[in-house]
Amino acid sequence: MSPQTPQPMGYLCLVLHCHLPYVRHPEHEHFLEENWLFEAITDTYVPLLRVMNGLVRNGVDFRLTATLSPPLISMLRDPMLISRYERHLNRLIELASKEVHRTASQPEFHRLATMYLERFLQTRHAFTQECGRDLVSTFGHLQDLGKLEIITCGATHGFLPLLNVAPNAVRAQVRAAVAHYEETFGRPPHGIWLPECGYYPGLDEVLRDVGLQFFFTESHGLLYADPRPRYGVHAPVFCPTGVAAFARDLDSSKQVWSAEEGYPGDPAYRDYYRDIGWDLDYDYIRPYIHVDGKRINTGIKYYRITGKTDQKQVYDRAWALERAAEHAGNFMFNRERQVEWLAPVMDRPPIVVAPYDAELFGHWWFEGPEWLDFLYRKLHFDQQIVKPITPAEYLERHDVNQVCTPCGSSWGYKGYHEVWLNGGNDWIYRHLHTAARRMEELTRAFPQAEGLKRRALTQAGRELLLAQSSDWAFIMKTGTMVDYAVKRTKEHLARFTSFYEQLRSGRIDAGGLKDIEEKDNLFPALDYRNFS
Amino acid sequence: MTPELPDRYGRTELVLMVVDPLLLFGYWEVTPESLREAQDVLGVEMEGARAVLRFYDISLIHFDGTNSHHTFDIDIGLEARSWYVHLWTAEKSYCADLGFVTRTGWFHAITRSNIVHTPRAGVSARDEERWMRVRFARRQKPDPARPLEAVPAPSLRGGQSPEELRALLERRVREQARLAAELAKGMSPGSISQGSR
Repeated sequence: MSPQTPQPMGYLCLVLHCHLPYVRHPEHEHFLEENWLFEAITDTYVPLLRVMNGLVRNGVDFRLTATLSPPLISMLRDPMLISRYERHLNRLIELASKEVHRTASQPEFHRLATMYLERFLQTRHAFTQECGRDLVSTFGHLQDLGKLEIITCGATHGFLPLLNVAPNAVRAQVRAAVAHYEETFGRPPHGIWLPECGYYPGLDEVLRDVGLQFFFTESHGLLYADPRPRYGVHAPVFCPTGVAAFARDLDSSKQVWSAEEGYPGDPAYRDYYRDIGWDLDYDYIRPYIHVDGKRINTGIKYYRITGKTDQKQVYDRAWALERAAEHAGNFMFNRERQVEWLAPVMDRPPIVVAPYDAELFGHWWFEGPEWLDFLYRKLHFDQQIVKPITPAEYLERHDVNQVCTPCGSSWGYKGYHEVWLNGGNDWIYRHLHTAARRMEELTRAFPQAEGLKRRALTQAGRELLLAQSSDWAFIMKTGTMVDYAVKRTKEHLARFTSFYEQLRSGRIDAGGLKDIEEKDNLFPALDYRNFS
Repeated sequence: MTPELPDRYGRTELVLMVVDPLLLFGYWEVTPESLREAQDVLGVEMEGARAVLRFYDISLIHFDGTNSHHTFDIDIGLEARSWYVHLWTAEKSYCADLGFVTRTGWFHAITRSNIVHTPRAGVSARDEERWMRVRFARRQKPDPARPLEAVPAPSLRGGQSPEELRALLERRVREQARLAAELAKGMSPGSISQGSR
């Protein structure tokens, strides 16, 4: 959309937040939590890239904003994880082939088994051939075409309002993320997805200092802003620092997010929980579940949501796609009416900001990528009222905005910090804050380190960043895989402390350092002085 | 094997954190030396003294130790090492001292915390408007020291009087805020690592 094209009545800013915690375990041949990445590639990232590439091929002018968090970028570019992903996908293809045979006499299952087999083969082709095993570059290419705006995130998705007790921790999360983005894409990021939308007044100063120009908040970040923003969440505001804040629109969020009323709960859509990893005979499925024999999801699922019943009906792909098209039409219709209702009392087109966790699309909501595809096509061909836009384009077109200080907030349960600070995870902060303070002390003690000392300082910084991931506190709160989250928190903190003590005593264990460098290998170019 | 983290760091401190507009979390460590010092100062008064967190409401002031709007004490178990503190108003600034209150009412502080600001829990009553122009910098970093240009507020649009329009916009913000508060209970982010939503 060039500045010359006529102004639509309103804008839709769709944002997908792509993030996974850094999970990479070279010390084990198979590691269950690495499946998070593999499932996200197959279910979400490859389908989203295929949708976007298809839109480009068909001349559909769309705009999408997406976070690629630094840990996700690092995992998507890690040779070991890429090779493990291919191994995983090949197993899946083998299982799907077996399923095609097994279901030969059951036409409705056979059709689905064939669908999965074709789908996984297409995924493999897309991953290896179309994307050259480098999804990050494929995302980057879409950004170069002007269709996709890739924004950054906290370096390891640290929840900044709670790290702020040691302000250098917040600076390091933001500085390391921006530096990583520049290394990856060869240009600075325009904006940032604050991890969990966690904002506190003053955070925008840190963003301004590294050249970030916008961020997103939860709805009440703007609705409770001071002074009261004239247009609520339907126009961004400038913080006193000049950094722009966009806030989530509630109506569009509710239609997709809400467990009861949201589209993903439609009876026609595929049921996530009924997976053949749990349903089929143990001896048959044994080679495709966890190596220790624990049943897990395989990704092959034959049933639809059906309703609140255990008697699930078999999935009907054609029907599900029809529903996805209807839901896309409904979403667009609602945005048109919303914009028509908002526009008459505004001096500019209202913007509707609709952010979602990317993994909702394809992973949880199997038909999500198709819904997105239908939506962009309908927006492009069927109407003129609402145009998709990125925050950068909006700020180019509308550079005059109200000045307000957003309210401290997050997009977690109840809207503040409780998810990341409660009886189940509060014990971590004493250690995280101490480590951050010690890291600052190290940067003061060694302002110009070189050689082994520099490597130890850098690795200490990596360990601290890894310990700060909000994912660990989040998992401790939600109650699944808690042991893993506790272990990761303690391991990174213990490694940090070990380097801290080695640096203070002047005796660095070069062999131990090398081991850890190989294990926790993200941010190869990290500058430890980010922690000053 | 998961490594165990140190129980103590050998540093006396009290740290406050915000959970939400009406709830704070505090954690602390008191070294044996700090405790001994306190006992030395208090002497016989130590007998029957209560460990407390003394909170100071220091909203919108420069706190000099004596000018807080008000204070309140929360009795704690010193060995608990952390505590949740419920508040009754949002949008305040606090700091706290960890110390002992003796039977005679003498308060001896061992350490003072950081300052925290609790967030607003509703729509701001202030509606005076400031607007500015900030030029967007594409594919480059703007200068952090770039001047921010104040501009007059754009005029209100629509057929109604400015007063009616302002009231309408305010009503909409408040309606949205009500909806936001309602939805915050039922819509939380989901991710793969969560297991299930």
